[in-house]
Amino acid sequence: MSKYKKITYAEAINQAMHQAMDLSEDVITMGQLIDYKPGIFGTTVGLVEKFGDKRVRDFPVAESLMTSAGIGAAVAGQRVILVHIRIDFMMYALDAIVNWLSLWRFKSNNESNVPLVIRAIVGRGWGQGPQHSKSFHSWFAHLPGIKVAMPSTAFDAKGLLLESVFGEDPAIIIEHRSLFNLKDHVPIKPYRVKYGKAIVRKKGKDVTLVAIGCLVIDALKAAKNLELQGINVEIIDPRTLTPLDIEAIKKSVTKTKRLVVADPGWHSFGAASEIITLVSEDSSIKMSSNPIRITLPDSHTPMSQPLENNYYIKEEDIVLAIKKSLK
Amino acid sequence: MMKKINHKEILKIKKYKNISLTGINKKLAINIYTFMQRLRICEESIEKEYHPADQMRCPVHFCTGEEAVPAALNNILKSTDYLFSHHRSHGYYLAKEAPMKRLFAELYGKVTGANSGIAGSQDISFPKNNFFSGAILSGATAIALGTAMSLEMKKKDQRVVVAGFGDAATDEGIFWESLNYASLKKLPIIFVCENNNYSTFSPQSKRQSGKGIAERAKVFGVNSEAIFGNDACLVYRKLKSAISMARLGKGPFLLETFTYRYSGHVGPLTDEFVGYRSKKEILFWKNNCPIKLLEEILIKKKYLSKDEIKTIKTKIFNEIEESFNFAKKSDFPSMRQLDNLNLSNKTPVADKMLEEYEELNFNEDQAVIQPKGY
Repeated sequence: MSKYKKITYAEAINQAMHQAMDLSEDVITMGQLIDYKPGIFGTTVGLVEKFGDKRVRDFPVAESLMTSAGIGAAVAGQRVILVHIRIDFMMYALDAIVNWLSLWRFKSNNESNVPLVIRAIVGRGWGQGPQHSKSFHSWFAHLPGIKVAMPSTAFDAKGLLLESVFGEDPAIIIEHRSLFNLKDHVPIKPYRVKYGKAIVRKKGKDVTLVAIGCLVIDALKAAKNLELQGINVEIIDPRTLTPLDIEAIKKSVTKTKRLVVADPGWHSFGAASEIITLVSEDSSIKMSSNPIRITLPDSHTPMSQPLENNYYIKEEDIVLAIKKSLK
Repeated sequence: MMKKINHKEILKIKKYKNISLTGINKKLAINIYTFMQRLRICEESIEKEYHPADQMRCPVHFCTGEEAVPAALNNILKSTDYLFSHHRSHGYYLAKEAPMKRLFAELYGKVTGANSGIAGSQDISFPKNNFFSGAILSGATAIALGTAMSLEMKKKDQRVVVAGFGDAATDEGIFWESLNYASLKKLPIIFVCENNNYSTFSPQSKRQSGKGIAERAKVFGVNSEAIFGNDACLVYRKLKSAISMARLGKGPFLLETFTYRYSGHVGPLTDEFVGYRSKKEILFWKNNCPIKLLEEILIKKKYLSKDEIKTIKTKIFNEIEESFNFAKKSDFPSMRQLDNLNLSNKTPVADKMLEEYEELNFNEDQAVIQPKGY
């Protein structure tokens, strides 16, 4: 019998939550509406029935308090999974995250830690508009003291969530809702995907394409298309931004001498800029062309469908960038 | 004494005469007194040493005048209970039996400090004794709520959480969110407000509408009371009963204690040049100092003699001197120390529990379906 099963990204998260709560009674989960039948896009289905309403807590629309309460519970020995159904709403919790969570270990001189993971969901698509669609991964990656993950597949979503729950540092996992229906081979048992370990999604020799989060599938599609045109792209999925496996990226760029980064965040001061900087700063890496960023424009998300379509990064944008890098 | 208690009404009484030792035996009374003396002398000694030596290079919010609440808590809380404090933290730190010499070393930024000099006065913690603090108003109170949530789930040896804060912390929305949830879930948490009337310079009447903090707490179903906070015996009795009830699962309580800080908002220097409080007001509070009020009754009851008080103080001065010496002689933390403080990058539990699996090839030939509607 196979150790793997083909399930969706949302089902994989749901499985991780069930298994985490089974593995340890210390694990609790909190979030608005997590104890209703549909669950949070299916990811919390069946939890309250199995683990009760003390361990599976619906919470008032008080994101800041919920996050702070999660910190306090973790300080007292729980392992906490917070579900923020929209990362935009989570901005109410910035004080809790920036002034308390991220520096709790630091200011206690390593004597107290907060094993807390935030599942932060990005709306993206279907006219979600400027208040339901932001990603913020670069903001959180800028902040010391918090791990940041951007799982692009169901396998990574489950493994990174379990790793975060049973890790000792606070973590934010940014989940793009557009991924929730994508299927992947996922181990049935609990398992881990470690932080700071990139994965080569496709081997290639011509260009290194670093694709982050929801753009991995677009990158793979673009690479397949380019393959037909004789262009051999290597795709690196960093999987986590903090810590970032820059060595895996550098190794690839050393080989291809070309770098394109696809980042589902705004253009300026973002993850793509950081990755390009880290590679550029390494004088041992000789590049044949200037690195290229594929990002969202420095603009908020419009609702109107044609504008929204135009706003988001598509397979064609990646194809064009790769070709430009090869010129 | 007063029907309605607030800072304006309190000034009318001139001298507080209601102090009584009801429910407090001699030993306890002396303990409360000694704690307050120790805290007062600790703060005054740091104030004296702070400038011009300038070796304690962190903001310190002194709590001279506000000794009653920490003294009461010190005599009520168990080592397994939790205490979360605001930035005016020294009293709470000592209340949780954290060592004085490590407080001093923390202020000097030394490796022997409570947090190895990483935190300083306004962020100090002593995790081993379940004591935490922080400078962003109400942040620690909201975190305390989560700790109470955890204790309530475990119902382990009926532990409680105390969140200490000032009146300004109740300007923050998250404070009231905390009260709401504590009441909703009947959590074992005691909210203690040391209402010293000022957010830095700004008085409560300029910042807050409606009735007082204790009254507003009732709207959330949180039992509460407002009292004269320089009566350490009264503070003790009220906290003792609230904490006992919380241990029995009766839910949260908010105690609003009206008190006063003698020092400026921050640092050892006076900030009276700002002109935000009157001489009359300061005089009233100095005449009604929590230590003086208790001392008067202890002498009257012959629980303590002037000589015994002298002995108590001498002992404290010795401890202070030792603490200064300890702090000054200690080393600064090593320069490499920041490396592992932000992320441990260690995963002992995950290492034991979880295996790695090979990631099979992801099939990109599937349509990305945008969820419709919500």
